[in-house]
Amino acid sequence: MTAVAFPSVEWFDVLGKLMEQQRDVHVRTGPIDCVAQFTVFEATPDGASQHIQVTFEEFSVINVEEVGEQDVTRADFVMEADLDTWQEMIESIAVGNGRPDLDHSLNRLSLPGTPIRVWSDDPLRRDLFFRFNQSLQEFVNASSEITTVFPAGR
Amino acid sequence: MLSSLERVQAPPRPADLEEEAFEAWNASFELNRDVWGEVLEENLDRLARGSYSLHWTNTEFAHWGTRTKPSPRGMTFTDINRSKAYGTIPDRAQARNLSPRGSVRAPYEDRMPVIEEYTLLDKYELWADNVVTLYEEAKARQWNSTTDIPWAELEPVSEELELAACQLATFLTEVEFVAGDFPARWIYKIPADYYEVKNFLTSQMMDEARHTEVFRKRALAGGGGLLHASPAFEWTMKSVLESPTHSSGTYLLNVLGEGFVLSIFRAGEFLAKTHTDREIFRRCMQDEARHVAYGTLELKAYLENHPEPEAAMERMHRFADLGENIMLTSFVDPCALEPMAVLMGGSIKDIDEGMDGVGFLWTTLREEYLQRCDRAGFDRRDRCQIPENLPGSC
Repeated sequence: MTAVAFPSVEWFDVLGKLMEQQRDVHVRTGPIDCVAQFTVFEATPDGASQHIQVTFEEFSVINVEEVGEQDVTRADFVMEADLDTWQEMIESIAVGNGRPDLDHSLNRLSLPGTPIRVWSDDPLRRDLFFRFNQSLQEFVNASSEITTVFPAGR
Repeated sequence: MLSSLERVQAPPRPADLEEEAFEAWNASFELNRDVWGEVLEENLDRLARGSYSLHWTNTEFAHWGTRTKPSPRGMTFTDINRSKAYGTIPDRAQARNLSPRGSVRAPYEDRMPVIEEYTLLDKYELWADNVVTLYEEAKARQWNSTTDIPWAELEPVSEELELAACQLATFLTEVEFVAGDFPARWIYKIPADYYEVKNFLTSQMMDEARHTEVFRKRALAGGGGLLHASPAFEWTMKSVLESPTHSSGTYLLNVLGEGFVLSIFRAGEFLAKTHTDREIFRRCMQDEARHVAYGTLELKAYLENHPEPEAAMERMHRFADLGENIMLTSFVDPCALEPMAVLMGGSIKDIDEGMDGVGFLWTTLREEYLQRCDRAGFDRRDRCQIPENLPGSC
């Protein structure tokens, strides 16, 4: 099984490739068209945050890039949380063979506004997170197909 | 005490109504026999003469030569609307009948019937800039409650939790199809020039049919069953169904009501005690978010394009002042609030703890509603009748 570091552009790229391989799942779920930003607080040993924007078009990821804080407006919505939260979610998906337990879905983790906060300046663009929620969940669920490596000491 | 059947006035006997309806229909079409009868005679004569009309091959007033190209995902409404001739949405409907927008219809105007029920004639009363996208999205994201929900994984929970799950499912079974009945009332009033809106509203009806279906199934699947209907819900739904205009009702239903239900569906994953419930709520949430998106931009278009914008704004505010209060009747009804609190708390004993969670949800719901109103240019922040905090909580 491939080992890929999280957070990294490569990790999301691999998920994009898995999306292609699991196209039938996404076709059944429906197309997804949005730019989602994954923000990981304390992503690096020096405590810096990492922002990765993933552009979805129909049943594919067409672009993954690391961006600066100033590029946030390009994203339809931002999902932000600290590294521990993302790690816990990814590990729950791995343990569940591609399905998180009841407490670790994207929607469940973000509903109270913490530990994941979903936000946008435009409520209509924020609502894309709800409109495409199943697709986003399937996207991250594919991480069970790879071995995710987290920063040392975690 | 009178039974509920005795309290309502008896409707006319169906047989009398039927006779009346047949007579009215006959009279109407007899009255217009000179028009449709003439068309019939001409056609019969032509056939009798062994002649052909072939007038439909005349492309003088058609947009012949149009060739729309599909995008990578297929031939969407957006693709065919790139043609100016077919894709220009008129500010006012050009015909009160079913003749397609872009077809050759002018030469036949005098002989066309008028569908009296087609009364939604202005674009500002129904259009939303996202309606085409939402329609395509709705078609592509349909699901089937019979086969897409992992019913076999529905695990037994305590009786208290099953009672709460079933009451919540009863509430949702009761309220969901108002968002089917409401579009049904208006689809029949929209002429074919605005077919995109008709089609989207049809998809909304299908979504709501599926929601009613899935929650009814959920109530019956776990060893419980349907529980209590509620007068509060019925008054709320009556206020939606009898809204004075399409835009006011769309605001009340799609922005406020469906926004509330969207929050419940979001919270559904919080409430879910099984993967089955989680899947149900998540799929419903996606559908509901489309309806909210249409409602938000429809309200925006209405307020921006109304010929008397200030009067329209004030009227809508007055409508919202009362509408929010009627909606509040449902929001605070025990048949909706208490089962959520029990599911959040984990048991009836822990309902207070659950109520804290519902209180948090309340704050989120209200703020998201106000944000959507802001987006539509409808500032409700100083007039909102929904209390900032769940009544009874701090």
